[in-house]
Amino acid sequence: MSEATKQAVRPLVDTAESRRPIGLLFVAIPVFLVIWLVIWPAINAISRTVWRKDKSGEMGFDLSSYAFFFSDSYSLDNLSITLWTTLVCAILLLMICLPIALYLRFSRGRLAAYVQALAIFPMFVPSIILAFAFIRVLGPNGMVDILFNAVDLPKIRTPYLTPWGPVIGLVWDNIPLTVLILLAGLGSVANQSIEAARDVGANAVQVFWHIILPRISNSILVALSFSVLGIFSSFTLPYLLGPASPEMLGPFMQRTLREVQDPVGAMTQAVIAFGFCIVFGLFYVRSVARSREK
Amino acid sequence: MSTMTTARGRIDWLGIFFAGLLTIAIVGPLLVVGTWAFTEVWRYPNVIPQQFGFRFWAQTLGRADVWNALMLSLQLTTVVTLLSALICLPAAYAFARMNFPGRNILFFSFLAGHAFPKFGLLVAIAAIFLQLDLIGTFWGVVLIQLVGTLMFMIWIPVAAFQSVDRRMEEAARDVGAGPFRVFWSVTLPQAGPTIAAAVLLSFVGTFYETEGAWLIGAPGIRTMPVLMISFINNQMVIQFGAVLSVLLWVPSFIALMFARRVIGGGAFARGFGG
Amino acid sequence: MSVLHIAEVTKTFSAGAKAVDSFSLDVADGELVCLLGPSGSGKSTLLRMVGGFEQPTSGSITIDGEDVTHLPPERRPTGMVFQSHALWTHMNVFKNLAFGLKLRRMPAAEIRDKVEAVLDLVGLAGYGDRMTTQLSGGQQQRVALARSLVLEPKILLLDEPFASLDQHLRERLREEVRDIQQRLGITTLFVTHGQDEALSMADRIVVMANGKTEQIDRPDVVYRDPKTPFVAGFIGSMNLIDGEVRNGYFMRSDLTVQLQVPDGPATLAIRPESLDVTASDTPKASVHRVTDYGSHGLVDLDLADGTRLKSMVAHPDLFRAGQGVDVFPRAIAAYRDNQQIYRS
Repeated sequence: MSEATKQAVRPLVDTAESRRPIGLLFVAIPVFLVIWLVIWPAINAISRTVWRKDKSGEMGFDLSSYAFFFSDSYSLDNLSITLWTTLVCAILLLMICLPIALYLRFSRGRLAAYVQALAIFPMFVPSIILAFAFIRVLGPNGMVDILFNAVDLPKIRTPYLTPWGPVIGLVWDNIPLTVLILLAGLGSVANQSIEAARDVGANAVQVFWHIILPRISNSILVALSFSVLGIFSSFTLPYLLGPASPEMLGPFMQRTLREVQDPVGAMTQAVIAFGFCIVFGLFYVRSVARSREK
Repeated sequence: MSTMTTARGRIDWLGIFFAGLLTIAIVGPLLVVGTWAFTEVWRYPNVIPQQFGFRFWAQTLGRADVWNALMLSLQLTTVVTLLSALICLPAAYAFARMNFPGRNILFFSFLAGHAFPKFGLLVAIAAIFLQLDLIGTFWGVVLIQLVGTLMFMIWIPVAAFQSVDRRMEEAARDVGAGPFRVFWSVTLPQAGPTIAAAVLLSFVGTFYETEGAWLIGAPGIRTMPVLMISFINNQMVIQFGAVLSVLLWVPSFIALMFARRVIGGGAFARGFGG
Repeated sequence: MSVLHIAEVTKTFSAGAKAVDSFSLDVADGELVCLLGPSGSGKSTLLRMVGGFEQPTSGSITIDGEDVTHLPPERRPTGMVFQSHALWTHMNVFKNLAFGLKLRRMPAAEIRDKVEAVLDLVGLAGYGDRMTTQLSGGQQQRVALARSLVLEPKILLLDEPFASLDQHLRERLREEVRDIQQRLGITTLFVTHGQDEALSMADRIVVMANGKTEQIDRPDVVYRDPKTPFVAGFIGSMNLIDGEVRNGYFMRSDLTVQLQVPDGPATLAIRPESLDVTASDTPKASVHRVTDYGSHGLVDLDLADGTRLKSMVAHPDLFRAGQGVDVFPRAIAAYRDNQQIYRS
C-alpha cells in the first residue's frame, strides 16, 4: 500500500489554525462547477419535466411526459432491455471477478502478478477500441469464425448487434474496477483470522463462506453499485454493439435529444434513470464517504 | 505466506487457468486489431493475412479528417487538463491543509458526479447547454470534460498532500524555511509523483472521453473517438479503424506505465470506494 | 512419552535462506516448551509448521504417533493462539468459540455446555454475547485462548500471544495461562522473544538462533550454564570478552584470568553478579558510570583498551566515575568455536 492510501483513510487533518474562510477562495471554482454542472442539471431536469408549460402556455404541474414514457411500449421495451443488461452484467461480473480477486489475494509470485496486470489492463483500453476489437473478433467473419472454420466447426451466431453484444463489452470494460474494489475489500481480511479458522477445522469453502464473505459483503455491494451506475446509462458500447431496437437507455436518450430534438423527453428518460439508480448512488456515496472518514 | 493455496512447489493450476483465460479474452482481441493494422489483404477464411504492409498507414494518415480530429483532440485535452490542474490543485491543497467553514461537505460534494448514472447526467447537462447555445462548440465540450476530471483531480491530490508528513514540513520551518519555501522544497516534491500520475490519468481519460464529446460536440466538434465511431458506423475499410486504434492506444500505453504506482497501491480503488 | 516429535525439520524459503535448519525436538505429554530466540531465528516458522500453516522442505512432524507432516491445518489436532488474537470480528464471543464445534456437527446443547465451561475456565463467564470489538486487549487474548481450548487439541500452540499487551497485563496472563495449562495437562509449544516469559513459564526452553537449536534445557540450567556464547549473551545480562589464552591464562588488555585450557583464542563469559570490584592503587580498569537501583547497584567499567564490563555491587556508593579499580571474576565460563570449553 502506498503512503498516499494509508493517509487517505484518515480524516482530513485538522490544523491548529483557526477556521479561516480563505480556503473557500481556493475551492470556489471547482465547487461552483460541481453545483452548476452536476447538481443544478439534475434539479433542472426534474423540475423542467414536472413543471412546464401546458398547451395554453401556462406553467403548471404536469406529469404527461412520464405518463407517456410508461405507456409507450417502445420506451418500456428500452427500459426492460436496460434492466436486463444491467442485471446480467452484474451477475457475470461477480462470477468472473470474485474468483480472480480471491486468487490474487492468496497468491504471490510472477503468475499472480501477470493475472493481476491482465485483469487491470482493460482500464487502459478506451471503450471505442474495445468496440472495434469486439467486431473484429466476434463479428461476422471475425477471428472466432475464422478459427472455427479452420477446425471445421460451424459458424457462431454472432452476438454483434444483439443484446449480448453490449453485455460482453460492458463486462470486459468493468472487470478492472470490480477486481480492484474486491481486492481492496479482501485486503482487510487478516491472514491470521483465516488461519485461525483453518486451525479449528474449516476447509477452504467453509473459510470463504463463514469468514471471508461476511467481511467483504460491503465491498461486493460497492463494486456492484459502481458497475450498475456505469452500465445502466452506458452509451458507447450499446450504441456500437447493441441492436437498433430495442435500444438501451443511453442511446435512446441520445437519439431523443439530438435526433428527435425532444429535450423534455430526453430529460424525462434521464430522471427515470436517476430514479432506478438512486439506491445504488446513495449507497455508493455513503460507502466512499465512510471509508474516507474512518 | 500461503494460507489458502497449495504448498510451494506444486503447480499453480488455478493461476495457469486464469492467466490463460484472461490472455485469450483480453490480449487476444487487441492482438487481432494490431494484426489488422499491418495487413494489406486478409480474406476470409484464411487464418493468417495473405499480405502484410504499411499501405493503410499511409492512407489513414493521409486523410484530412484524421489530422483534424487528432489536432482537435490534442488541443481539447491540453486545455481541459491545464484548466483542471489550475483550478483543482489549489483546491486540493486547501482541502488537505486548510480549515474553513463547510470543508467536509464541500469535499464530499465532488462525489455527486459519481452518484448519478453518467450518461443521464450528460443528457441533463446537454439540456442546459441547449439553452445556452453551447451545443456543438469547443467550449461546451471543454466544460463537460472538465467536470469529468474534477473528482479525480481533487481526491487523488488531496490524498497526496495529506500523505506528506506534517513533521517533515515543521522540520523545514524549524531550520528556517518560509511557508512558500516549505511548499516548494518539501511538500511538492513529496506529493509530486502522485499528482503527476493524476494529471496524466486525467489527460488520457479526457483524450478518450467519447460520450460527452459525442453528445455535446456533434456535429461541429469531431474528436478522435468520435471520428472512430463514425468509421465503425459507416463500415469504412477495416484497416482505417485498426490503424486508428493502434494510434489511439499509444497515450494509453504511456499512462499504463506511469500510473502503475497509483493503481497498484490501491489508492485508486479507494478513490472509487473500495 | 513424547506426544510431539519433530525430526530433522528444515524450511527453505524461495530466496534460498534456511528459516529452520534440521531442527529436532521431542515434547512430552503435558509439557510446556518455550521456543525462545530473537526475531528471525525461525521460532515462529517452526510453530507454524507444527500447526500446518507452512510445509517443511524436509523432515517430519509426528503427533501421538501419527505423521502429520503433510496434513493441512484443519486436519491436525493442534490449536493455535495468534499474536494478533485473530478473532473474527463479525461474530460474537460465543460464535467465535462455537464455530469449530459447529464444523464438527456437534449438537447445539453440547456446544453451549462446552463453550460455557471454557469461558468459565478463562474467567470470561457471561461474556458470550459480547462482540469481540467490545473487549479489552487482555479479554480478547483470553477469548483467543478459549477458542483453541474448546476443541480440546492435543497440542496447544501459542505464537507470542502477549506481545501486544502492556507489561502489567502480560505478567498476569502469563500466570493464568500457566495455571490453565497445568490444570488441563495440555501439551504446549510457546513462542516468545522475551526471556522473562520463557524463564517463568516453561518446563523446558529451546533457545534458537538463525534457524538452529542453540540449547535445550530447563530454564534454570539455561540461565546458569549456557552452552554457547549466543545463549550466554541472549539470556540475562552477561559480560562476553574476546581474548587469547596463553600458558593457562586468559588475557585481554590488563585483565588476566586463570583458565586451564589449551592455548588459542577464547571468549570469556562472566555474569555481572559474579564480577567483584574493589578500589585499587594498581587498577586494571576504571569506573565509567555508577547506577544505583536501590536494592543493588551497577558499575560500568572500562578496561585500558576500552572494553566495557558490567559489575553488580551491593554498595554502589563506594564507587565514583573515574576511579581506578581491580576486578575479580568469581564464576566464569569460556567458549571456543561456539563450544563451551571451560566452566567453573
